[in-house]
Amino acid sequence: MSTDPRPTDGDTTIIARTVTRVVVPIILLVAIALLLQGHNLPGGGFIAGVLTVTGFALIYIIYGLRYVEEELLHRTVVPRSLPTDESETEPPITKEFGEIFTIGLALAAGSGIVAMAFGFPFLSQAVLFVEGLPLYDHMEVASALAFDLGVYFVVVGGLLTILAVVGAE
Amino acid sequence: MQPSQGVLLTVLAVPFLAAAVTPLLYRLIGERVAYFAAAVAAVAFALIGSQFGTQGTVSLQWIPALDVSLALYVDGLSLLLGLIVSGIGVLIFTYSGAYMHDEPGKAKYYTTLLVFMGAMLGVAFAADLLALFVFWELTSVSSFVLIGHYQDQADSQYAARKAMFITVAGGLFMLVGFLLLYTISGDALGEATFRLAGQGGMIENAGAMQEALRSEGLLVPVVGLIAIGAAAKSAQVPLHIWLPNAMEAPTPVSAFLHSATMVKAGVYLVGRFRPLLSTPEWELIFAALGLLTMTVAAILAVAADDIKELLAYSTASHLGLIIAGFGLQSVYGAETGAFHILNHALFKAALFLVAGIVAHEAGTRLLSELGGLWRDLPITAAVAAIAALGMAGLPPFNGFYSKELLFEATYHAAEHAGGLWWLLPAVAVFGSIFTFLYSIRFLSLFFGEKPDAIEHVHSPPLTMLAPPVVLAALAGVVGLGGISATFGMHFRPLEDFINIVVESVGGHTEHGFKYYLPTELTPAAGMSAITIAVGAVAYPSYGRIAAGVERLIAIDPLRPNFYYDGLVSWLDRTKIVTGTVQTGRLRTYAIWLLLAVAGLALAGYAGAGVVLPAVSSMAVEPAIVVVLAVAVVAALAVTRAPSHIAGVLTLSILGFMVAIFYILASAPDLALTQLVIETLVLVLFLLVLDKLPEFYGEVDRLRALRDGAVSAVVGVTVFLTVLVSTAAVPGQPISAYFIERAGVPAEHGSTLLDFGGGGNIVNVILVDFRAFDTLGEISVIAMAAISVITLISMRERGESQ
Repeated sequence: MSTDPRPTDGDTTIIARTVTRVVVPIILLVAIALLLQGHNLPGGGFIAGVLTVTGFALIYIIYGLRYVEEELLHRTVVPRSLPTDESETEPPITKEFGEIFTIGLALAAGSGIVAMAFGFPFLSQAVLFVEGLPLYDHMEVASALAFDLGVYFVVVGGLLTILAVVGAE
Repeated sequence: MQPSQGVLLTVLAVPFLAAAVTPLLYRLIGERVAYFAAAVAAVAFALIGSQFGTQGTVSLQWIPALDVSLALYVDGLSLLLGLIVSGIGVLIFTYSGAYMHDEPGKAKYYTTLLVFMGAMLGVAFAADLLALFVFWELTSVSSFVLIGHYQDQADSQYAARKAMFITVAGGLFMLVGFLLLYTISGDALGEATFRLAGQGGMIENAGAMQEALRSEGLLVPVVGLIAIGAAAKSAQVPLHIWLPNAMEAPTPVSAFLHSATMVKAGVYLVGRFRPLLSTPEWELIFAALGLLTMTVAAILAVAADDIKELLAYSTASHLGLIIAGFGLQSVYGAETGAFHILNHALFKAALFLVAGIVAHEAGTRLLSELGGLWRDLPITAAVAAIAALGMAGLPPFNGFYSKELLFEATYHAAEHAGGLWWLLPAVAVFGSIFTFLYSIRFLSLFFGEKPDAIEHVHSPPLTMLAPPVVLAALAGVVGLGGISATFGMHFRPLEDFINIVVESVGGHTEHGFKYYLPTELTPAAGMSAITIAVGAVAYPSYGRIAAGVERLIAIDPLRPNFYYDGLVSWLDRTKIVTGTVQTGRLRTYAIWLLLAVAGLALAGYAGAGVVLPAVSSMAVEPAIVVVLAVAVVAALAVTRAPSHIAGVLTLSILGFMVAIFYILASAPDLALTQLVIETLVLVLFLLVLDKLPEFYGEVDRLRALRDGAVSAVVGVTVFLTVLVSTAAVPGQPISAYFIERAGVPAEHGSTLLDFGGGGNIVNVILVDFRAFDTLGEISVIAMAAISVITLISMRERGESQ
């Protein structure tokens, strides 16, 4: 393990910090937009997932690991050393990341199994048109969105895990 | 009667399924998992038993494109092996429960042992050469894991590597033989097939196969290649050297794999091919191999002081006896092999379990330190007596009858051919004398004076005692059957079963298989009498014989181990492997990997005679030309970058140019993905950049040239691949289907099922048409994340957790 847990902490400028504060919410919003519009316009779960991770990576680089741990999450990201005894305070955050991609995988596979329950082949998708909605007038609900959401979660969970573990080295 | 497909598939599947749940089950019920495994083996045993009396093939498509099917074949020989494997499996698992009590790695042990059992049943029932080979190698791999059970001991590592090296190398020779047979079957049967046994198989058309092999001059090579495979597996001289080392494994493993079952695979192979390849050449090769092994290994056993080592050499010797039996063409030969497979499994497994009890309770395995154990271990001593006297070939114990058959077979062959063939019975008697000597020596550790060094010996727990008692009882029943048959009361079920086995290895008798004590002085009875008499006379000078053998095997050029160790240490010393391939440096592995991929791809193109497509037009938009030119310049600049930061940034220019190229080529999704990934990679690089060394040192000119050449080769390969694969346009492009189906049709109801219903074809393909691929890809991402967690953040957790 590295002796200094803050790879680039302390040597970032105020400009970078301010820009990050402004840009990260926009990045996350764009990511969600890409996820939702993916069925009809460029986008999709994979791109949205990678973009989300890029947003987190930005915070990570500009503010450093310690800030993320102490200010945002109030816990450790990865185990810094071997647990000294059984009564370790809390499992590291990678556990949650692991849960994210587990959920994603379950969602993607589950959406396929639902199709089987209706008697269609595994992973068949359907589209439902909902008419007469306020503001939107009509809306297209694709079952593929569930699958895409699964892809999104897997990408986010997987890449965040890698980022956290490798970054802590 | 046809065997049942369901039952056979269950027999094969159950051990593997059980192995898959064993690690979980071990967490729940601890070491009682041994009895679960024993129950699994018992189920397999019962299912195989239910197929008794059936014969034939059941088949299941496996790789239809290559015409490979998982065909299972049942006849006497496969039933015999299947029953031995599962039956002794039950006893071994029960025994392990007590024996492995204080040992490490129990979950791994039971899992591997179950996998081994499944693989061995696969070998027994495979009707197909490819399936046979796959199961065959699987037994080698599980044997490797089990021999190396005590992972951190140098002896275990050496033994496991040696066993793996020899058996797998032998298996590869065998594979070449199989492929030759496949090619020949095309000439002989009209259509090339991997099917060995059953309808339309090679054995059914043995005559045509032999003729085709002979006319191509391939008969001797094929027999030789199969002999090498069988000899490596069944520890035949000079490839027997791995077996004594394999005794590093826990004793139940030695009893199961290295005496009763795995080493029988080679013997089984010889028996299986006997009806196909039985020719004079076959007889010469296998009779010589078997008798040589029988004698050499018996002599080596006499010099052994460790009881497990003695039993290991003895195993090799008895396997030689079986191989010699299968080698001889007369029906007595077939009877020898078939009957001795059973007899040997019974007495040798019992003896190994006895050795395990002795080592466990007395604390040593050295013959010179043991003696007089019968007072403390009376039941064990009785078991050892029945089994060891059977091994010695003393009437009326079970080993006597099969050895008698060997004498008869060798005498028959010699009488038939005359001349040098008289060596066969002579060698058989000579080897048997040594067998007699070491068998009695093994038994002697229970009798005589008890050395003072041995403290009080505990009696073993019931679960360790019961399995050898069962085996010895069965061996005793076989012996009793011979006695009663002498008085006209034949033990019908056993004799009929052996008769089926004899028929399936290509032997035919008119009145079936019978065994009994000799009532008149036949040549074979005379040979037995000579063996026992000379053995009894020589036994008092056992120590001097052993010393003489030790002096003989101290001569280096006579020891196969001398050559093996010499080869291995030569490879180490000259650094041929560690200096060129396994350097431990990432760059070396990358070079070999990339060159191998490029070489295989290029060779594939050359072999398939791929022609380069004609480039019709070079006219591209000026914008694209500019973008690509910038990309090329960036690529060149990366190599000249003065610092890491500059290098990473230049690399990003290349990446962004590719993204712009995608935009210009109207692929917004690809462009978006490329942009986002490029950004993320850049960010990640910046994260780790200040951890990298500033300066790598002066680059060697030669190395730079070599790396340049490698990258050029890889680049050319990729370029050619893109060119060739994009040039191939199928008659009905699939894009038409996607365009038609992806969007929302003009008229539709409130739900759509047949259509993707999305404006973005790329995404509809990803989540709908080819969603299965996407599911695979996200599984890979999840796996990569899990690997990162286990490799990096858990790397300091050892086996202890």
